[in-house]
Amino acid sequence: MVNPLSLFFHPKVTETFEFRNEELEAIGAKIKKEIPKVFGHSLAIRELDSGSDNSTEIEISNLGNPHYDVERFGISFVASPRHADVLLVTGAVTLNMAEAAKKTYEAMPYPKYVIAVGDDACDGGIYKGSYAVLGGVDKILPVDVKIPGNPPSPKEIMQGIFALVKKARE
Amino acid sequence: MSIKMSKDKMELLSIVSSIKEEEPELLSTRENEVYLKISESRFKDIYPSLAERKFSLTGLFCAEAFEKKDGLTLFYIFKQESKPPVLILVRELEREEKAVSIAETFPSASWFEREVRDGFGLEFTGAFDTRRLFLHECYPEGFHPLQKAFKNGPISTAEAPCTEYRFRQVKGEGVYQIPVGPVHAGIIEPGHFRFSVIGEPIFSLEIRLFYKHRGIEKLAEGKTPSECVPLAEAVSGDESMANAAGFCMAVEQVCGINVSERAERLRAVMLELERIYSLLGDLAGMAVDVGFALVASPFFVLREEIFRQNEKLTGSRFLRGITVPGGLKKDIPDSSLKELPVFLGRFSRTFESAYDRAMSSSSLIDRFATTGVIKKELVSPLNLTGPLARASGCPADTRLDRPYGAYRNFAPEPSMRKKGDVLSRFEVKADEIRASVALILSLIENLPKGPVFAESTGYAGNGGSSEVTNNSGATGYSLALIEAPRGQNLHWVYLKNGIVDRYKIRTASFCNWQAIEHAVIGNIVPDFPLINKSLNLSYAGTDL
Repeated sequence: MVNPLSLFFHPKVTETFEFRNEELEAIGAKIKKEIPKVFGHSLAIRELDSGSDNSTEIEISNLGNPHYDVERFGISFVASPRHADVLLVTGAVTLNMAEAAKKTYEAMPYPKYVIAVGDDACDGGIYKGSYAVLGGVDKILPVDVKIPGNPPSPKEIMQGIFALVKKARE
Repeated sequence: MSIKMSKDKMELLSIVSSIKEEEPELLSTRENEVYLKISESRFKDIYPSLAERKFSLTGLFCAEAFEKKDGLTLFYIFKQESKPPVLILVRELEREEKAVSIAETFPSASWFEREVRDGFGLEFTGAFDTRRLFLHECYPEGFHPLQKAFKNGPISTAEAPCTEYRFRQVKGEGVYQIPVGPVHAGIIEPGHFRFSVIGEPIFSLEIRLFYKHRGIEKLAEGKTPSECVPLAEAVSGDESMANAAGFCMAVEQVCGINVSERAERLRAVMLELERIYSLLGDLAGMAVDVGFALVASPFFVLREEIFRQNEKLTGSRFLRGITVPGGLKKDIPDSSLKELPVFLGRFSRTFESAYDRAMSSSSLIDRFATTGVIKKELVSPLNLTGPLARASGCPADTRLDRPYGAYRNFAPEPSMRKKGDVLSRFEVKADEIRASVALILSLIENLPKGPVFAESTGYAGNGGSSEVTNNSGATGYSLALIEAPRGQNLHWVYLKNGIVDRYKIRTASFCNWQAIEHAVIGNIVPDFPLINKSLNLSYAGTDL
């Protein structure tokens, strides 16, 4: 049992951790600098799983953990496609999900962008030739940036987001 | 009978023969598996008696052109609590023959039967639910992908939805429905929830899944075992290691390959690392859902650090690409293994301080206690497994009940709670993280040196009971049960001349999902995310 008062008088749990990755900070800083030129103050991302194996989702949610904490770079994950600038799609598009994926994209306001995350989203990956999938995300949506990987690491996803922000400016 | 049998296996046989005065036909037996061939008329007598004897149905699946038989063959896997051997009743069906539904006696059969019906077009007589399961409306009528006649490839989808899925209707004054999904508000997988509520409390919940159906079982057909490993890893992201190991174990049993002790121990180390990061995610998620970032953050930090340890050990944050039938693809460098105990020491200190903080918060306890109760009575009928069952007073754990690999010599500390609420699941999961840390430390102590890959390549096997035909590879079938972070996963592999003819996967999530419809009743809608998180079931692992 912890004395609740200790919360005020003792150092916070997170303070004992030391992690700072210069490479990540550099990409983050670049994204932060680019965002206001196209998107206003922040980049709103809606994540859509169209049939992944869930590892890509785990890496995307890891972007929010204290090691990465990408919100400080102006990237936020939003609950509704109506609030989103970018659709981050994972997984080969399954027949069962195709309709919902299209509707999610249609619900987004213009201008809108699509990033395919992971090998399966890029071109169908190991599910190529299965009756149950259509293939990569570009089979049903216009894809702007592809991030390969099985799954891509959080840093690679950040680099992909930077590529999109740069592309959107052009 | 020339085959040597253990006492438990003899007991299984005597139970079956005592039900009907007739010696059952023993098809084959392996370590902890007994296959009995059963005719339709005998099956009708046997299954109710098995229910009375407290057997639970842990799996039911179908295979076409099994052995020399043309047509469909059904496999019913029955298990007695905490006894290692499983009883597999094999029913061979004639063309166009229907099977009798056992869903009223064994509720867990309902999804299994619907799955078989979708895949093979086999009808079950007397089934109370005959809706499609993994084939949604977009699939045309009469399409059954697992039939051998269907060659895998793109299909033309139904132009107009032929059969609309009908949700359960709940009517009455003040009852309204809340549809949620398949696309959810957070970064999670797709699935549909249909709540019927009266005011705040949930009156009824119906889940509809399989949006992520990718056809993994069909993709496995015709591949070599090594080619299938990436498919097993893709069953569910955070169970990559467990499913790869389960698949490899089944193949190794068919081929009679003995895995070296070093490889077995290293596999167990990775299985436990996977368990730790999965469960940490659950604990963190539960803390987030009650708005307690001070507790969630250290759990998230530790989880990320485990991912980094995984990468150091195997080159993959998800422990992918290292497990192969026969052992491991490559050895793990001793330098990375030496780091583990130091890291785990630091890990435990941070973990305990965060856990203490969680348990000393009255608001957290208030949200967790008595929320989302899963009664013990549900565990056997629905075949619930894993931390969920252990938090509801059932101590079942495959690592202890039916040890495999390194667990034959290294057993984890069991953990159990009785209340079955969110708090119990939080405590059980925390206990299991501690047990896994201790287990890893003892596994890597005095780790034997030597090769990590069995030299008998080509899956030809060197002994065992599998028959080897014209040197092209083993023919045979075997079942592997493995304890994944979410509970018991089942892998059944049927090899023909070294090629996978049928690969059946049933993850713990497939069964455990059905518990959520019971757990939420009477709880308020805002507690649903918390209950869902405390169970943390895999969509991908269910949809396949």
